[in-house]
Amino acid sequence: MEENEFFGEKTFQHYCAEFIKHSQKIGDGWEWRASKDCSDGYMCKTHFQVKNGTAVSHQGTSAHVQTFLPVEEALDPPLDDLEVTETTTAAEVIKYEYHVLYSCSYQVPVLYFRASFLDGRPLALKDIWEGVHECYKMRLLQGPWDTITQQEHPILGQPFFVLHPCKTSEFMTPVLKNSQKINRNVNYITSWLSMVGPAVGLNLPLSYATAASQDEGNVGGQGKKRSLCSTFPVAKILEPLLHLAMSPLLAPAFIKSAFISDRLDTDLFV
Amino acid sequence: MTDDKDVLRDVWFGRIPTCFTLYQDEITEREAEPYYLLLPRVSYLTLVTDKVKKHFQKVMRQEDISEIWFEYEGTPLKWHYPIGLLFDLLASSSALPWNITVHFKSFPEKDLLHCPSKDVIEAHFMSCVKEADALKHKSQVINEMQKKDHKQLWMGLQNDRFDQFWAINRKLMEYPAEENGFRYIPFRIYQTTTERPFIQKLFRPVSTDGQLHTLGDLLKEVCPSAVAPEVPMPEVCSWLPTWLLASSAEGSHLPSLWRDWEEDGPRLSQQGAENRRNQSPGTETLFWDQVVASDTENVLCLNSRDHPQIHRMVGRSGVGL
Repeated sequence: MEENEFFGEKTFQHYCAEFIKHSQKIGDGWEWRASKDCSDGYMCKTHFQVKNGTAVSHQGTSAHVQTFLPVEEALDPPLDDLEVTETTTAAEVIKYEYHVLYSCSYQVPVLYFRASFLDGRPLALKDIWEGVHECYKMRLLQGPWDTITQQEHPILGQPFFVLHPCKTSEFMTPVLKNSQKINRNVNYITSWLSMVGPAVGLNLPLSYATAASQDEGNVGGQGKKRSLCSTFPVAKILEPLLHLAMSPLLAPAFIKSAFISDRLDTDLFV
Repeated sequence: MTDDKDVLRDVWFGRIPTCFTLYQDEITEREAEPYYLLLPRVSYLTLVTDKVKKHFQKVMRQEDISEIWFEYEGTPLKWHYPIGLLFDLLASSSALPWNITVHFKSFPEKDLLHCPSKDVIEAHFMSCVKEADALKHKSQVINEMQKKDHKQLWMGLQNDRFDQFWAINRKLMEYPAEENGFRYIPFRIYQTTTERPFIQKLFRPVSTDGQLHTLGDLLKEVCPSAVAPEVPMPEVCSWLPTWLLASSAEGSHLPSLWRDWEEDGPRLSQQGAENRRNQSPGTETLFWDQVVASDTENVLCLNSRDHPQIHRMVGRSGVGL
């Protein structure tokens, strides 16, 4: 329909295309799938994770070992943000599928996902909740049905889990407003996915952020060096995110992926 | 909208006579008799079938019982679709009562959402109401309501209380006097022939030059295959608020109705007028020439018939209306 809305469907598709371009460069596995009638589509990625029983250590985190850790990064050349130093014998391998769709009702992207064991047995909602990052757990315990629920995929018609979209524009607006102020192009999808993905085991390599800043034609040399965090108050970003009842002590790994910055420096931790 | 109260009540109190039969492979200690029930069109299967569950569980052992699910002629029934929608989509051309099979084993994970408690139904229902309001009012009306109003909406549905429900819902059906209608019309068009469960797009009630949009305009825009005269289509049939499209004298092809409309301007065919008189309970006939949103008395308002949620129209093939 009309594209006078700030984040219309065409804009969504454009940012997804840019995102996928970078994903292809680094082999991150995202691709675009058109619906059968080709009127719309979604972005998707499948990856495999090892559940429980792994003694994998993880650069940048404290003693907290996440329940879910990506397996494929052990096989690929190590990325600068996550390094798997050792694995034990795999307990259970879980297949995760992530789909990014556009909601015309809320005019934001929405994250759908499902998980199953290799034999096809799906994971239950309570297993999904157990795997959720600590930061989000408090919010979930208060109102589980508001945040991650099982719903019908609007294009495939199958059961998926969904991160509810109604708060998305609330926490995305400050990010976008400020990026406009400093005349810096931010890929909405990259920023958004880096914020909501970690809640459900989906992490974005930092190179997505550096790619975004390199693509800015209209920002001069000095612009590239500025980190998002130093340009506007952290509180402004955090305020809407607190809606998600994050604990005050954000896990560093979460911060790394949540805030697009070309240099992660201590500005954030002031 | 108060003029429409009779229609609102008819839609709310629409019922489908249903016969529940236990799946033959379920393990029972004695024979299970079928269970008959009048199902409310506006409600959800898992909300209104406690008695059905109890009835069959009486003849089964605890260990043979897991999550209940329903099926019609081999198709698992999506509890998160309103009952009237399921019926119109799958069974409206069959004789009544609607024959549903009850299962307690082998839950079809790939097809159905789980429904472990009433809270899940409430969350789904409220989520639909909120999404509809996002389209109608940018979520302003629903967000301004207190939690107790949301609760009242849900309790009204759960307990079949028309007045209790509409005391709150009427606020969701209003729009400012200076506007001609909602921001966008919340609608979904369901079809069984496609993988995509429904069509949902942004659609304004008024065109850029101030003309009120009609149902025909909406369908032409979002589901053109339903209106192309040369194509025998999955024609739009009905659901809540169960819009039945009038059939033409030739025997109910939407294409011919569309031709009538095109050539002669908005008018009702004879058969259409007949249909308007003979509506089945819980349904209402909608015609091409009706505007999608209007507050004038003699034009039926698509919006004012709204059930809690998004208008749902069902597409299916062939059958005359």
